[in-house]
Amino acid sequence: MASETETNNAANEEALRREIETKLRAGLETEAMPRADSHERVQEIIARLRASDGSLEAKLVIGGFTLEPVVHEGIEQACETCMYYLVHRKWCELPELDLPVEPKWSCRLWRI
Amino acid sequence: MANLLWLQGGACSGNTMSFLNAEEPSAVDLVTDFGINVLWHPSLGMELGDNLQKLLRACVSGEIALDIFAFEGTVVNAPNGTGDWNRFAGRPMKEWVRELANVAQFVVALGDCATWGGIPATAPNPTESQGLQFLKRERGGFLGPDFTAKSGLPVINIPGCPAHPDWITQILVAVATGNAGEITLDEFQRPKTFFTSFTQTGCTRNMHFAYKVSATEFGQRKGCLFYDLGCRGPMTHSPCNRILWNRQSSKTRAGMPCLGCTEPEFPFFDLEPGTVFKTQTVMGVPKDLPAGVDQAGYIKLTGAAKAAAPAWAEEDIFVV
Repeated sequence: MASETETNNAANEEALRREIETKLRAGLETEAMPRADSHERVQEIIARLRASDGSLEAKLVIGGFTLEPVVHEGIEQACETCMYYLVHRKWCELPELDLPVEPKWSCRLWRI
Repeated sequence: MANLLWLQGGACSGNTMSFLNAEEPSAVDLVTDFGINVLWHPSLGMELGDNLQKLLRACVSGEIALDIFAFEGTVVNAPNGTGDWNRFAGRPMKEWVRELANVAQFVVALGDCATWGGIPATAPNPTESQGLQFLKRERGGFLGPDFTAKSGLPVINIPGCPAHPDWITQILVAVATGNAGEITLDEFQRPKTFFTSFTQTGCTRNMHFAYKVSATEFGQRKGCLFYDLGCRGPMTHSPCNRILWNRQSSKTRAGMPCLGCTEPEFPFFDLEPGTVFKTQTVMGVPKDLPAGVDQAGYIKLTGAAKAAAPAWAEEDIFVV
């Protein structure tokens, strides 16, 4: 049985998830390309995230979030298969992102 | 009684420290219970100066039978192949190594530096270091690919940075008590009894590996260290999670990634910035996959495992 705090947290997370969806549907331009193909590129993007103001928009733009999975070089890069994705919480656990997500969303820091 | 001589080349003394911490059997047990006579050791030997030179010469001449020659550290060849950067007992250490290896019944390389060159041999290798019979994966090393000790065995390699204390003492006991015939070696001349299974074998994080839940910080009790923090446990041959360190823990149990220090390539990627404690990926897929797994299989397995992951796998289930 979930506690009241847990229920409230889940509700807050869901509200934030819907807020992200709304921003992306409204046409927020994110840097979905180029993907973080190499270690150097990953580090570069992570460094930008760390240097940013940490706002929701900065995370979405620099991370390159999309509402659909990106298929890159034949590999579908959906949140649901990413190492940072927590299935039950529907959460991206990468410390620099730390956001609620949906399984079929995608970002360019995807890694399996 | 088996005579043991232990010398140290380009080294940090880590394997000596490890040896002195051995428990099963201990360094003292080697002498009192297993008939090993320590002729000399850098931290235990009594002889100095002329007396040490006499002892070494007596070993080389055969006046003193040398049963086990143990070597820790790299063979230093710099500068320009002379070995003068590592002089010992009046001459370059490498000259003693050559002569002593040629008269020993068994030659045992202790730790990464003596086995494959380790950290000193990392590019650009300014000390021109070599392991006794390997330089990284390349067979040969200082003694050459065809070297065998008088017993007929090549150098017995006990890698690690450092080697686990009990790997060292157990192999020394096996050799000293006439059981060397039971030591079978793998392609890198490591005793199979220690280096056939993986570091991951016995890892307490295997359920997180199975369900593809990643640790994202050092010391985190939840999550597997392979996916993000560069752990090499799934492709490193060592018993670190079977024969525990200090009898109670291991790197991965403490939340630190395995560095793969029992493999010839250690330190991996020549220690380039950003390569340590970070899983190297190409298009989001790890460059180095668990031994025997291909990329397509890895992606399929990961998708299925994540989909099946139970909620508890995403939580910290360990209670202090």
